[in-house]
Amino acid sequence: MFGRYERGFSYSDPEVNLRIDDTTTLPEYRRECGGTVVAKHLAADYDAIHIHPVEPVNLPEEITHHLEISFPPIVLPPTAKKKIFLTFPVEIGVFFEIRGEMSLLDIFSLVPTKFSLYGLPGTGIITRWYRSGIFSDIPATDLHREGVLELTLINSSSTTVDISRAVFDCYGMQMFYGDRVGMTATMEIVSPVIASTTFTALPPKGCPNRSIDLYAARRFAIDPRNSFFMESGME
Amino acid sequence: MIPFAETLPNSTVVVNKLTDDSNIIGSASPKEISLFIISLVVAYVLGLVIAHYLKLKLSHRLKPDQLTLLTRVIRVLLIIFAFAATVPALLDMGFTILMLIFVGIIAIIGLSSQKVISNMVGGLALLYEHPFATGDFISTGDVSGTVVSTRLFSVLIRTTSGVSVQIPNDQIYSTDVAKYYINVARRYDYVVGIRYKDDVKKAIETISGLLDDYTFVLKNPAPNVFVNDIDADSVRVMFRIWFPSVWANTKDDISFQTEILPHVKAALEAAGIEMPYAHREIFFTDPDLKFPKLHEGKE
Repeated sequence: MFGRYERGFSYSDPEVNLRIDDTTTLPEYRRECGGTVVAKHLAADYDAIHIHPVEPVNLPEEITHHLEISFPPIVLPPTAKKKIFLTFPVEIGVFFEIRGEMSLLDIFSLVPTKFSLYGLPGTGIITRWYRSGIFSDIPATDLHREGVLELTLINSSSTTVDISRAVFDCYGMQMFYGDRVGMTATMEIVSPVIASTTFTALPPKGCPNRSIDLYAARRFAIDPRNSFFMESGME
Repeated sequence: MIPFAETLPNSTVVVNKLTDDSNIIGSASPKEISLFIISLVVAYVLGLVIAHYLKLKLSHRLKPDQLTLLTRVIRVLLIIFAFAATVPALLDMGFTILMLIFVGIIAIIGLSSQKVISNMVGGLALLYEHPFATGDFISTGDVSGTVVSTRLFSVLIRTTSGVSVQIPNDQIYSTDVAKYYINVARRYDYVVGIRYKDDVKKAIETISGLLDDYTFVLKNPAPNVFVNDIDADSVRVMFRIWFPSVWANTKDDISFQTEILPHVKAALEAAGIEMPYAHREIFFTDPDLKFPKLHEGKE
């Protein structure tokens, strides 16, 4: 599904039907997915349509820009460094291109959304929550539902730590797609309760194409920092 | 006095001004006064235009209260600039006029009730402490709603039923204010009653499973479902659930009830669990007691 489509595009699989009808007065975008039908008229003479995986924090509405991945507990000894693979939910963004400028047309997902609270109600943050398994190699995934996060755990503290979740700030998320949807990140444990998570710009294996950053497409002012400090624990 | 005035000619001029009714506005010419008024009007109109422009350009980037503060600061600065640019020419206006203005201000303050002053002080305290912002959902006294604006004398609140309520600042400052936005998550409690003969464990599992599938019910803190009470008619099962405040504050309690409770009822009924009518069992000590027949075939 992911990639660039010329005018008059349509895509269909057992779960999703997407198309733009260029014969109407204004081009009509139509999406049928999970029993839901979305139709929009495009008041612009577009050049192409792009479908990319986007930061999974937009649905059903923008409540947070943090992604929390929960996984079975991992015990990490002091000074240890370990690469693991996790899965994360995929949201699919449909963009239209006009003279090289991308604008968002639609976002949908095949994965149900769940939110959580990281920290205390007074000082914590709301996160998009997702449960993942732990994998030592790239797991097989449905690229329309799940992506693969290559996470390098680094324990810089002098104590053994238990880790069962990682929280990321999606403003710094750098997603890639190809055979699968993927991204890479590091999680550096500073102390038993504090860690820093950072996305890296390295494309994971099998994911040569860079996704459109949704927040850049919406012309949001993005904080150049792409690290997030987990100050409310890791389990 | 006259010989002294003769030695100091300027003093004679002052005396002449104070006693000359035709020169009541001092040395300020009609042109200078017109310029003063026009500059104030221009500054006011320019402030409105700039405020409108900023609202168009920045309304999606700034919070409403930040935008309001920015536009107010700009408008006040413009007025001050216009005032400072033109008022020197008026400063040597007649002493009589200055006195009249002074007495007028004193009279206004004097005539103002204590309530107005206390509201103003309350408004300044609210502006300083900034306990809530425009757009926040608050409860104070009997009023719950979204703060539309915080003014010098009052706070304007729009209730969930669409009514605007203006609350004096001293009242809002001296009463409890519940702020729904200060924490990122809010808890809601609901209770349903099930029959005595229903399986309580199954009911708890059914409700927990339903809540787990519900998008906006937070995973952590996890929903808490438990038997809250056993009353005369039913076993009461309470469930406590946490929602993101930013989402929950856009809803009212009725929206929650219509969104959550019908699904809980349907899930319980699908699991064979029913919510009972209020009923009472009566035992008679005389086992041979017979009731008269009221209708044919019915006792």
